[in-house]
Amino acid sequence: MNLRRDVLHLLTGAYAADALTGAELAEFERHLHQCPSCAEEVRGLRETAARFGMATAIASPPGMRRQVLAAASRTRQLPPAGRKLAALSAPRPDRRPRPLPRPVIAAAGTAAAAAIVALAVLQANTQHQLDQAQARNRAIAAVLAAPDASVESSRTTVGGTVTAVISARDGEAVVTAARLPALPGAMVYQLWVIGAADARSAGLLPLSSTGVSSPVLAGDLRPGDHLGITIEPAGGTAKPTTTPVVLVTAEA
Amino acid sequence: MSTPPESRQQDSPGRGEGGRQDLAALLCAVARGDHSAFETVYDQLAGPVYGVARKVIRDPAQSEEVAQEVMLEVWRTASRFDAAKGSGVAWVMTIAHRRAVDRVRSESAATAREQKVALGPVSGEDVAELAEAALDRQRVRRCLGTLTSLQAESVTLAYYGGYTYPQVAELLGVALGTVKTRIRDGLIRMRDCMEVTW
Repeated sequence: MNLRRDVLHLLTGAYAADALTGAELAEFERHLHQCPSCAEEVRGLRETAARFGMATAIASPPGMRRQVLAAASRTRQLPPAGRKLAALSAPRPDRRPRPLPRPVIAAAGTAAAAAIVALAVLQANTQHQLDQAQARNRAIAAVLAAPDASVESSRTTVGGTVTAVISARDGEAVVTAARLPALPGAMVYQLWVIGAADARSAGLLPLSSTGVSSPVLAGDLRPGDHLGITIEPAGGTAKPTTTPVVLVTAEA
Repeated sequence: MSTPPESRQQDSPGRGEGGRQDLAALLCAVARGDHSAFETVYDQLAGPVYGVARKVIRDPAQSEEVAQEVMLEVWRTASRFDAAKGSGVAWVMTIAHRRAVDRVRSESAATAREQKVALGPVSGEDVAELAEAALDRQRVRRCLGTLTSLQAESVTLAYYGGYTYPQVAELLGVALGTVKTRIRDGLIRMRDCMEVTW
């Protein structure tokens, strides 16, 4: 027992109440594996916390039961982890990208999709950014997991590739780019949803030094819409002012 | 691993007396893909899972979304439930509470986090569950009364408020170390008062 360990032991309560975050959470979880008395205490406090939870029971919304049971019938279950691998605690949802269950995202798409999720995670380095990334990941994961998700990949006229995962059903697309040439500081790549009548901005494509963009979510797609990328002045514009370097048809 | 305790009958993972005893056996059946066992688990725990989401998140639509994710997670990961390491209720409620706090700690939810009133009509099946919850609430309230006010506030802000312990410290205007120990000794006192055995 040293001082650090004693201090860590005091975190059992905060851990059981899910009040630990970030590096401290990771450190405590590592410690738990080597501290049977901490694990024992956490178990009891978690049971206690569960009573707090049970006391909040209210009638769940009508319709939720049917939706959950239907979703279960479409969802493959995890195999047993085996004794050695079995985690001490329950799984931590959302702390890693969700697996992408759909075979729809075909071979070419799988790599792109995995890269999209990995990117979103990699680019977060503060807790705040991580939280934002998690929210974005949820939205992105929803598109990637949509039953009708299709993957479109196109080369741009200036070089590099743009990949879009599109769910026509949800009217949403996730767009990412690779090996786009760097632009002068005053210029940016901007993503547009281009319809018959107008073009709406879906945001800027933030580029890393290697020309890879983090994923951008484009919503409100209608059949026949295109996704286009233009080069615009820094900060972006309300309407496209240059010819798109790439156009992807949004209909799957 | 999914070995039910010896006292439980593996071949009849039905609803036991009082409703909750058989949860471990039910979860083992769910791990084997038993849909009717999952329905029973759903009926036993959808109320508290939705309740804890509402308590932490407040917004009904987001709470429902989280509750659905939690129940689906229970289905998907039932094989990871280990009856030797805790009760089924604690396993499910841990998933539920973590999902709920993850949601409120994300930026997008923070802006939408405001109390709204909405609740569907209470169906007949809900009543038994709600009566049980009322008993739980009574017990929790009584035991919270045995805590110091700083312990009680620390524990409830952390669990029901979904705040991290540094946030709790800031809200209460006390030192980090103080909150850390108050959450721990508050929960320990609750454990003993509610006679939680584990």
